[in-house]
Amino acid sequence: MENDVTKPRWCGWIALRLRAIGVVVCAIVLALGWTVRPAVSATPDGQCLTCHTVPGLEMPLPDGEKLPLTIPADSFAHSIHSPLGCTGCHTDISLPTHPAAVPIIKSRREFSLKMVQACQTCHTQQFNDWRTSVHAALVSQGNTAAPVCTNCHSPHAVQKGVAEAIDTVPCRACHAAIFAAYSDSVHGILRRGGMRQAPLCFSCHGAHAVHVPSEMQGLKDVCLRCHKNAVEEHGTWLPNVALHFNVVSCPACHVPSAHRRVDLVLFNSTTQKAIPDQEGIPNFVRPDASSPTAPPGLDPQTLFTLLQALNRPGVADKTVVNGRLEVSTAVEAHQIVPAESAIRDCATCHRAGANAFQSVVISVAGPGGIPVHYGANKDVLNSAFSIASIGGFYAIGGTRITILDALVVLALLGGFGFAIVHGSMRILFRHFLKHPRQDQSKG
Amino acid sequence: MQRIYIHALPIRIWHWINAFSCVMLALTGLQIRYVGTIDVVTFRTAVMVHNVFGFIVVANFFLWLSYYALSDKRVNYLPNLQVARFIRGAMRQSEFYAFGVFKGDPNPHRVTKYHQFNPLQAMTYQALMLVVLPIQGITGILLWNLTGFAGIVALVGGVRVVDTVHVLIFAAFLFFIPFHAYLSTMGHTPLADYKAMWDGYEEVEEGESADGVE
Repeated sequence: MENDVTKPRWCGWIALRLRAIGVVVCAIVLALGWTVRPAVSATPDGQCLTCHTVPGLEMPLPDGEKLPLTIPADSFAHSIHSPLGCTGCHTDISLPTHPAAVPIIKSRREFSLKMVQACQTCHTQQFNDWRTSVHAALVSQGNTAAPVCTNCHSPHAVQKGVAEAIDTVPCRACHAAIFAAYSDSVHGILRRGGMRQAPLCFSCHGAHAVHVPSEMQGLKDVCLRCHKNAVEEHGTWLPNVALHFNVVSCPACHVPSAHRRVDLVLFNSTTQKAIPDQEGIPNFVRPDASSPTAPPGLDPQTLFTLLQALNRPGVADKTVVNGRLEVSTAVEAHQIVPAESAIRDCATCHRAGANAFQSVVISVAGPGGIPVHYGANKDVLNSAFSIASIGGFYAIGGTRITILDALVVLALLGGFGFAIVHGSMRILFRHFLKHPRQDQSKG
Repeated sequence: MQRIYIHALPIRIWHWINAFSCVMLALTGLQIRYVGTIDVVTFRTAVMVHNVFGFIVVANFFLWLSYYALSDKRVNYLPNLQVARFIRGAMRQSEFYAFGVFKGDPNPHRVTKYHQFNPLQAMTYQALMLVVLPIQGITGILLWNLTGFAGIVALVGGVRVVDTVHVLIFAAFLFFIPFHAYLSTMGHTPLADYKAMWDGYEEVEEGESADGVE
């Protein structure tokens, strides 16, 4: 409808004429086909392909896009969908009324969404898996870039195994930067070298029920699926190994070059899931919205107040903060290096001012469980408020509470200072008073 | 001077193991907390040594507890319920440490088998052995295996609460260790009390205790 309002009337007139010309051309081609290629057109598919193998055949759409109508006949003949024939999927098309005089496809996206229904007729399980995925969640949010079946699986050239091969895996089309990082990682190198056990995208993310493994502890579970002895092996040298596996994501150590950050997830203690973004969290500042004049993110006191507000009396589901050490970007998360190059020096994180604790985000669950991050001031990790607000996340040394350092120094000075001052006075007084010693009891 | 056998062998063993272990715990504790500033050993080594001495102190605590539970000397660790008398004694002892010791006044406390500690010592050691050390041991064990004790850790408010309590007591020990070592030089010779804790015999002057208790 928008086109009708914004485009001049002559555009519609031209489109109508073009469509009419298309119908005439198709009719001519069909007529020629019947006479020239009777063997092909003898079958229903042959009738379709008579027109739909014509190079450059496309349909102008109301949104200005063009829908390609040419089907590569050879590819289709070799695809696993070939036995189904055209009408196996295009069930609503009948030759007498095709092509329709009035356009029934408004946009390519709308056509793709409509044809998903055809896919689910046979691929019910895969479709149901997809419906639980982040991709489906994004589609339902109106994200036009989120993939449906035909975005990943070329419907007229589907061949078994294509989506599972490193050179043709469909994920790379949208996630090119991540795929490049993966390709250079130990996983990508091994996969390309022919090791079938080395993971490809779907190995960690799922093929159709695609999820974000970095959500909560999902990544650890994904890694442990293959690296089954990882906990035991780390336990030979890493103290508190179970805790490290819970609060440190694998890439935080296995991507030494990555920028690390602390992800404080607002977590519903009853449902054991991150609280949804829709609950409305005040005082949050998106990291990408920061400017020289913008505040440096949520400060310790505001986080404390926020949690007090979320956990006000009467609220049954308490919100707690679950902290995890992550890498900053999805690209970095895929740059896994061989184990011998991973970080093993505890001081990397357990010293004051460690790089890992200079960046802090607070996360809630966005659509499909994709974490939504908000910037937080790094002081939330070292403030006295952290005892109450982020009681569950602590790295000895690295996120120590600074005010306690003053107490430690005072205690040391007090203990030694008392001994030095009191002892010196005893010596001086004894010297000047020339008194014999009479004290006898220890302290 | 009179030699009185005060410190039984189990207590002397406990004391010196405890003393050495607490010093090691304090040093490794400083190394763990201030890695990057203090780098005598690696963080991992410091943690391992800290854990070992932590368990030694815990086991040693039960040696101490068993001895006093089965011995009639347990009275040394029972609180003085005569509050006014206790306060008078504490004031007198404080006055001695603050002024008397400089003037050469006699120590108002006389050590006996069933009255080892002056009022200030008694108060300090009771708090230390019956409250502070057990809490430090418990928080240390929780920090040693946070996932194994996750339920308890969550119940008390999370790892930061546990660690903060552990660090507060750590600070108290950082004060107490040099303080205690110094006050132990206030015997009739600077090493008299150290010697007593080594061989078990206290050398005391004959006469009535000025804090009123024999």
